Amino acid sequence: MMRENDIIVIGGGLAGLTAAAVAAKRGKKVMVLSLGAGTLTIGGGIVDVIGYLEGNKPVATPSAGLLQLPAEHPYKKIGRPAIEDAIKFFKEICEEEGYPYMGNLDTMQWVPTAAGTIKPTCLIPKTMNTEELQKANKVIVLGFESLKDFYPQLITKNFKKISRFKDKEYETVMIDPNLAEGRDVTALDVARWLDTEEGISECITKMRKVIQPGSVVIIPPVLGTRPNYRIADRLEQALQCHFIETASVPPSITGLRLRTMMVSYLKKIGVRIVEQATVAKSIVEADKCVAVVTEGIDRERTYYAKSFILANGGFYGGGLLAEPGKVIEPIFNLPVEAPEDHEMWANYSLFSNEAQPFAKLGLEVDEKMRPLDADGKVILNNVFVAGRNLRGYDYSFEKSGNGVAIASGYQAAMSV
Amino acid sequence: MQKATVVVIGGGATGVGILRDLCMRGVDAILIEQQDLAYGTSSRYHGLLHSGGRYAVKDAEAGKECIEENTILRKIGRHCVEQTEGFFARTHLDDEDFEGKWVEACAKVGIPTIPISVEEARRLEPNLSAKIKSVYRVPDAAIDGFRMVWQNVASARKYGGRVMTYTTVVGIEHSNNQVVGMKVRNTLTGEISNIACDFIVSAAGSWAGEIAALAGITVNVQPDRGTLIAFNHRIASRIINRLRPASDGDIFVPHGSITILGTTSASVNKPDDTIPNAKEVVELLNIGEALFEDLRSYRMLRAFAGTRPLYSADPNAKGRGASRGFVTLDHAHDGLKGFVSVVGGKFTTYRLMAEKVTDLVCNYLNVKTPCRTALEDLVDDASPALMAKARLYFPAYGAELAASRLGSEGLEKVIDRMQAKPEKRQLLCECENVTMAEVEEAAADSTSFMISDVRRKTRMGMGTCQGAFCTFRSVGAVDANGLSWGKDTNVLFKEFLQGRWKGIRPILWGNVMREMELTRGIYEGTLNINGAIDDEGK
Repeated sequence: MMRENDIIVIGGGLAGLTAAAVAAKRGKKVMVLSLGAGTLTIGGGIVDVIGYLEGNKPVATPSAGLLQLPAEHPYKKIGRPAIEDAIKFFKEICEEEGYPYMGNLDTMQWVPTAAGTIKPTCLIPKTMNTEELQKANKVIVLGFESLKDFYPQLITKNFKKISRFKDKEYETVMIDPNLAEGRDVTALDVARWLDTEEGISECITKMRKVIQPGSVVIIPPVLGTRPNYRIADRLEQALQCHFIETASVPPSITGLRLRTMMVSYLKKIGVRIVEQATVAKSIVEADKCVAVVTEGIDRERTYYAKSFILANGGFYGGGLLAEPGKVIEPIFNLPVEAPEDHEMWANYSLFSNEAQPFAKLGLEVDEKMRPLDADGKVILNNVFVAGRNLRGYDYSFEKSGNGVAIASGYQAAMSV
Repeated sequence: MQKATVVVIGGGATGVGILRDLCMRGVDAILIEQQDLAYGTSSRYHGLLHSGGRYAVKDAEAGKECIEENTILRKIGRHCVEQTEGFFARTHLDDEDFEGKWVEACAKVGIPTIPISVEEARRLEPNLSAKIKSVYRVPDAAIDGFRMVWQNVASARKYGGRVMTYTTVVGIEHSNNQVVGMKVRNTLTGEISNIACDFIVSAAGSWAGEIAALAGITVNVQPDRGTLIAFNHRIASRIINRLRPASDGDIFVPHGSITILGTTSASVNKPDDTIPNAKEVVELLNIGEALFEDLRSYRMLRAFAGTRPLYSADPNAKGRGASRGFVTLDHAHDGLKGFVSVVGGKFTTYRLMAEKVTDLVCNYLNVKTPCRTALEDLVDDASPALMAKARLYFPAYGAELAASRLGSEGLEKVIDRMQAKPEKRQLLCECENVTMAEVEEAAADSTSFMISDVRRKTRMGMGTCQGAFCTFRSVGAVDANGLSWGKDTNVLFKEFLQGRWKGIRPILWGNVMREMELTRGIYEGTLNINGAIDDEGK
């Protein structure tokens, strides 16, 4: 017999983990059914709120952007006060866990990326703060031999084309982490190397040979796998330099830290996380969901709760399934409006000034994040939707992924 | 000004075959190609080295040519060919009477067809539909179009052949009804220049009509568009043909770990009309289910389309009604000496077409050297010593693969790069087993100007993830070597990913949709290669 939960959250990404945290803080008994690490370890280290509007127009600040969104956007349903509360709540978690994030809705943060571009975002770990970078006359970009996902010259070359960074002097240097010769090395390997005492000592010795005290140093996101600033502080003290991590390709170490922090927090406040749980179907009576059923290699399990939060990640997470001309929400069979003519789903250009129509497909909800039918009526009274399953936004185009996740996860949990 | 005795137009199989043949006979020749080598039809088909069975009933001559060339290419191009053999399988939907006609027609032109029981066929190919009625074995094979073109060029270069890519003809120059040269434009820089020559061979395929028009000559080439699907599985280990008169969606061809299903057929106005659509994909899946009932459960990689250059002396013949045979048009008969077009034909017979054209050209030039393209291998085998060395540097499975891809000479250069810098041994593209060193070598070639050009030479970005990870690395790596060809790196990112997107867009459902969310998340969400970077936000 399963213990009765107040709330079951389906999905272990940032939306689901945030919803679980909010609900648990409100005194609810919460369980998270998680399939894996979610998208957090792919690109989730920073919290984008809104960077661009249709037409690829950059917004001055997230606040300004929020005002200009169309009515169909999830933020419009959530509303400004809840978005602010959600961000405050998230930052409090970070403080409590010893991994504080910087930023607010009234400031646009432009963080450097591994491609030598900059991207607009809202909340960042302090290792991505660019204040020192903007002040510096000379910037060092530091790479690691054998790390095939980081190319220092890509950054120096392209930074010279960006107005706020172009008048600086750039130098690229390399460190050899001596990780098994010929083996493929990822940022995670380097971060794990720095996690060890021998690793960080060796790294400091090698860095001393190539960087001067007082330098501003751009590096890949390798400053430890744990959600704290111990590695960054140690390097900064030893070398008297300022280190800035870039937004980078997977595996995302900053995303890994964020997930580790959220999971640690949830455990402290009594949330139970069930990993490798594939939710296959729901048991619905009238306008309420009674339970969801997971399928595993051994057997089916039924999980009962008073309410459910559906945050299993849209097309990427498996929360939505696409077929030619049709979208299916597999657990509750909730309706998704999609063009029957599949040609209408996507633009001919992958990257252009337009959002992708398919990226905006998803579940229609009311202000409380409850799913609606075509007539605007609530379908299930105790089911709430958060994150990438929501319709009306293209996170990668507008740069809003984790912002919508946090805000909608918060709103869903507050509505229960 | 460049000079050559002969200029060959078109960097597809036929063009490179002619270049190789000319150079082997000692003729000074340049090949010009408007895009990259194998950019056009030679890479936009199913990669079937025909036994001729497909054509035997309707076009005995084409069938005969196929079986002869098939035998030759297996030998000289063995690094491009996978000797899979093929099945012709009649499904419950197909006409029984055709079967007898087909067996008879194959016998007549020398194509061996061996009947086997349906049980035996399904034992060999377990995914085949249980509803199959009869099956025959034929000597079909799979051939890598990119590699075949590239290895022809490698061979031609050994004999002094020159290649200019991203070069398009804008004028054909003549004097007293005799070709004296041509005006070309570099499509990347816009620069116009002249090439002096005595002879022009147009092997421009679907574009042959446009080239001839530059000299005021009419050549009736009807571009016929075919769409194909690449599946991320080896659905069968053999080529599976549907035993019925040639029609849509009849052929499955395995290539390494993938399978290609094709094709549709539709007349189009433009030779570069190669954007596939979702409707064609769904149609192909519907047809393909007759041979593989669970076809829809296989993950697709992409769809792609190419145009066949169907030639007809009668401009009204279209589609499958037009001959797949080829014709050499000596435009001396149209009043211009030194200009020849070769039209029609198919990939399988490219070498034969090249031989016929080169014979004609050599006759004009009074060159008596006979054709040797059927006798000499395209690339040399790597020696046992070189292979032993390669195994020290390549990942286990990668050594054989790379040797086959690169030939002896290329392999040696790549090993040199790996010796100099051990980190170059890393796989840049995990899906297709392509090392950093190979990408750098391909990028350094004089015909490479974009990451897509490197892709066609190495297969990087053509596997399961369709560039999600290797796009970043390849841009980073070529840029680190100072090889970004004067382009902004964001242009390189976009060009490559847009090329992948073209084939993904028409199959955007299931796992493909999932993969695309990841790719966009990386390049658009995280790296912002798309976003306008107005950092003042005004």
